Amino acid sequence: MAGSTLVFDPVAPCHNEPRQSRRALDQLAGKVIGFIDNAKPNFNYLVDDLAEVLVSKYGVASVIKRRKRSASMAAPEAMVKELAEQCDAVITGSGD
Amino acid sequence: MKRGAAALTVCSTSFVELGRAQQKALGYPDLPIAVIPHPFGIRTRDELRRIAGQCADDIARLVCEPGSRDPAASPRRPSPAARAALIEAPDDADEINRLFFERRWCDGLPVVAPTAGRVERMLRHTRRAPEDIVATIAPGFGAATVEYIAINAVMAGCYPEYLPVLIAAAEAAATPEFHLQALQVTTNPAAVWLVINGPIARRLGVNSGGNCLGPGAWANATLGRALRLILQNIGRALPREMDRATQGQPGKYTFCCAENEAENPWEPLHVERGFAPDRSTVTVVGALGTWNMNITAKDAADVLSMIADTMAFPASSDYVYGGAPWLVLSPQHAHVLHREGLSKAEVKRRLWEQSKLLASRVPGNDFGRMQTGRRAELGEIGPDTLVPISARPEHISIIVAGGSGTHSVYVPVSAHTRSATREVMLSEQMNRDRYHEAFIAK
Repeated sequence: MAGSTLVFDPVAPCHNEPRQSRRALDQLAGKVIGFIDNAKPNFNYLVDDLAEVLVSKYGVASVIKRRKRSASMAAPEAMVKELAEQCDAVITGSGD
Repeated sequence: MKRGAAALTVCSTSFVELGRAQQKALGYPDLPIAVIPHPFGIRTRDELRRIAGQCADDIARLVCEPGSRDPAASPRRPSPAARAALIEAPDDADEINRLFFERRWCDGLPVVAPTAGRVERMLRHTRRAPEDIVATIAPGFGAATVEYIAINAVMAGCYPEYLPVLIAAAEAAATPEFHLQALQVTTNPAAVWLVINGPIARRLGVNSGGNCLGPGAWANATLGRALRLILQNIGRALPREMDRATQGQPGKYTFCCAENEAENPWEPLHVERGFAPDRSTVTVVGALGTWNMNITAKDAADVLSMIADTMAFPASSDYVYGGAPWLVLSPQHAHVLHREGLSKAEVKRRLWEQSKLLASRVPGNDFGRMQTGRRAELGEIGPDTLVPISARPEHISIIVAGGSGTHSVYVPVSAHTRSATREVMLSEQMNRDRYHEAFIAK
């Protein structure tokens, strides 16, 4: 029967503090919705179709669509600023 | 409004786990995710409309749903200066390996137990404090303190004197231009390749000659492996969790070599990048693989033509986004090029010109991706456009490495990542620098 020894746990903790709780809208009707198209195949079509349904079925006032150069790059600061200033909610995409 | 807009992510099923883990690591653990079926990119237009109908309903519900997170219930974060924790484990190598494997703390190969004694011996090779944070490692943003780097280096089998190389490697990997976030979570087979330059390579026995990218050298094997363990245990890119590689590649176990400076007819990489020849550096490269080029040609034109044709393949991400590919030239090929009076910069320029890809060779979705990816740089791309592999010739990097033979290696690099070089600060080097500073101050 082996005895015991002490070894280090190699997993380093993350020091990022939880920054804010999720923000919720009271309703979609009358709101401005932004999309950041991640430039993955078909996501532009999904954005178009979602925009159509959100306006026709849920009364969204308007939709602002912007496209990133590629999925693996963060959206440019100017794009984020523009959407944050003009939109009530912003929708991003991930995956293939 | 509108500052402080609500946010939501649409995620395909295979990426939901990554999305959740990423939100948590970034400090936004309860942002809503609307899920769509994977794979999404191959759906027909009609299928997309059906998916959008369902997804819009999910968005409408989720975006109005208040968060459930109670800030008081958040896990308590350790203080930045926290030291690594010792845990009790069976005093038996097999049992320790079983424990580490079960906790997903290793790469699938046996590890050396990171005992306090082994880690302490390693820490003697730097003057930095154990709790110094060298970098935060994406995508989990674990704090890579000197001590955590040493722990993972011990596990990989590194000798204590390797520690300064890994400190520099962690710093380099965390530079914004390296874009580690994308490398760690991509479906591409992205490994982080370490290229060592300067006197430290010889001193540590990092192989730059025959089989330098293969087995046989303790330093190459364990340094590359240590960085992988750092990426997993500090960056938390665990295979099939946040690391979404479709297949991965063997280079993700270890990938490290030195430049063969003795056989290099040009200036070595670190000198090209502004370091003095007597300084030592480590360069990190987001490598997608190694591609053998067997070229027996005697003329520079023939060598360049075969390399350029190899670089120009239509499934390459380099052409889609404008890349930063690498070449490992064999000493023989480097001498053929140098003999005809070509500088390294001229080799890059010619390869850049000759590897332009006819856009029509890239079909379908990928042609569209290339148009989006290169529009700002090249304007509208048509089928007859000749697309360069990178925005500029100098984005191609070249080292000379390997032994005798007619083989050079093409290393395609993951999209958007740019290699980064950092100086290896040896404890005696730091002493010398401090002495010089003190002398100048007087």
